[in-house]
Amino acid sequence: MADDNRIMENVDNVREPTKEDTVAETIKSRFPNAHVEIRENKWGRKRVWVIVPREDYKALMKFLLELDPEAHYSIGIEQDYGEEIGYMSHILLHYDNAPAVSLLVDVRVPKDDPVIPDISDIFPIALQYEREAAEMMGIVFEGIPDSRRLFLPDDFPEGIYPLRLDEKGIPEEIVKNAGHPYYLKGGDK
Amino acid sequence: MTKKVEYWIKIPFGPIHPGLEEPEKFILTLDGERIVNVDVKLGYNLRGLQWIAYRRNYVQIMYLAERICGICSFSHNHTYTRAVEEAAGIEVPERAEYIRAIIGELERVHSHLLNLGVLGHDIGYDTVLHLTWLARERVMDVLEAISGNRVNYSMVTIGGVRRDIDEKGKRLILDMIKYYRSIMPQIEEVFLHDPTIEARLRDCAVISKRVALEQGAVGPTARASGLKVDARWSERLGVYPDLGVKPVMPQDVTGEKPHGDVFDRAAVRIGEIYQSLDMLEHALDQMPEGKIKTFPKDNILVAKLKIMVDGEGIGRYEAPRGELVHYVRGKKGSDKPLRWKPREPTFPNLFAVAKGVTGDQVADFVLAVASIDPCLSCTDRVAVVQDGKKRILTETDLLRLSIKKTREINPEVKGDPTPVGFGCSR
Repeated sequence: MADDNRIMENVDNVREPTKEDTVAETIKSRFPNAHVEIRENKWGRKRVWVIVPREDYKALMKFLLELDPEAHYSIGIEQDYGEEIGYMSHILLHYDNAPAVSLLVDVRVPKDDPVIPDISDIFPIALQYEREAAEMMGIVFEGIPDSRRLFLPDDFPEGIYPLRLDEKGIPEEIVKNAGHPYYLKGGDK
Repeated sequence: MTKKVEYWIKIPFGPIHPGLEEPEKFILTLDGERIVNVDVKLGYNLRGLQWIAYRRNYVQIMYLAERICGICSFSHNHTYTRAVEEAAGIEVPERAEYIRAIIGELERVHSHLLNLGVLGHDIGYDTVLHLTWLARERVMDVLEAISGNRVNYSMVTIGGVRRDIDEKGKRLILDMIKYYRSIMPQIEEVFLHDPTIEARLRDCAVISKRVALEQGAVGPTARASGLKVDARWSERLGVYPDLGVKPVMPQDVTGEKPHGDVFDRAAVRIGEIYQSLDMLEHALDQMPEGKIKTFPKDNILVAKLKIMVDGEGIGRYEAPRGELVHYVRGKKGSDKPLRWKPREPTFPNLFAVAKGVTGDQVADFVLAVASIDPCLSCTDRVAVVQDGKKRILTETDLLRLSIKKTREINPEVKGDPTPVGFGCSR
């Protein structure tokens, strides 16, 4: 009887690999330098978080299109990690087969060499997110076909990146107060 | 045989115009009446929300997120809240999930009706505008009765909702559903079966499936192009699977294959209103009793989040206009996030429309971007690209060219050929 129970326990432990597991395993085996992790939130939604070195980044993005030629590029997020600058892409694989695989690919580069390869030849909409990341965070996208500004006005000073947390962010002097009656600079002016 | 010379004319479309609700600029490159290329310039209304968010705590950003857009204010607040809940690991009571779904679907009904009205206005049928906007008043009244506000409902909070829906609110919603079931066939008849409107909407601004995929189109725009996408459905969000959510495709409404034109987008919106009414009925029927929020007071919430948020979270929700994404990253010990980034559905759709409208007539452009409501700006100057060389024409040049052309067509016209002053000639 005891043996039977043990067998039943093992049956419970063995489960079918989910879509997320399969994607994570494939990425792990193809790109051993990438850090792959599956996290589950409180309402049972799984996401695959990938941190990939700059050298493998473009190859990984191309590989995602092999996994699903109809992959949906959802958002590109530029980030300031202090010593490093990051660019994270959220991509949905197998979107028309619910629940879709939610995949986040993060690439981090040092602040003194913020060069990331451009992926707009793989996901054309990524170009617009990259233009935003370039002007807001100062990331240089290697081989970007259109490096004009998207959001910032043309007379905004060069070399200032509004969303950076270091000295390259907006200094207090260039914040324009547009005559707001409740804006009290320094408390009493 | 004369050689045909091609003139490409660039016309600025925006940013400020009485017909535009929001300043946005499109630069249309035209070959005659045909659109050759559309260039999009954003940022005329950039309020620096992400920069402000560095200086606010998690609860304060809820109000900021809500004010990104008046029409889908619930969606932004809801998605931001989901992102924080994922980063902090907070569970939401089931009744709160149902109330969130109810408010979300009410908002979808009013947003789609607004959109259909704007579409009617842009093709010159103001009667249609008044018909749909009159119908929209009913759902606005219900939202006001439930939340106290017609826009910016402030219903969602991190870990639940702020206000409950009582028996009176339930009755109001059920009456509203009955009203919309009676009026929707009329609206459907106008948009899908009126020969004039159908002729105007069909084959206008066709976004092919390939372009929609490449440009990452979302929401009704993507579904009209044949992409089976819906963030509520693919995310298995909250109680939505129990309510029977599924992507509404054009063939569900019209019975034809998706073509990706304006007609299909209107059809998808009409189909979604019907689906929302069904979901509202199910939600009211199945809503369990129980508490509606995890943390009773906001000051407790701020203190708890300071300890609980450690890491990053993504919130995804299908706003009426399409998939909405919010990203939040925080660190333990700080009540302010290190990064918050929202992505609105209009952003990818705008670039999809810009690609899809290529090859169409100029007049179709207004319809194509009807969901964003731009209008042709005054052409104060024009750049002509001829044989690769670019020159700028001023108003005087345009006037001179116009007089020259008039004389060519009708040599009988007399008068001084050189224009005097601005905008007048003798």
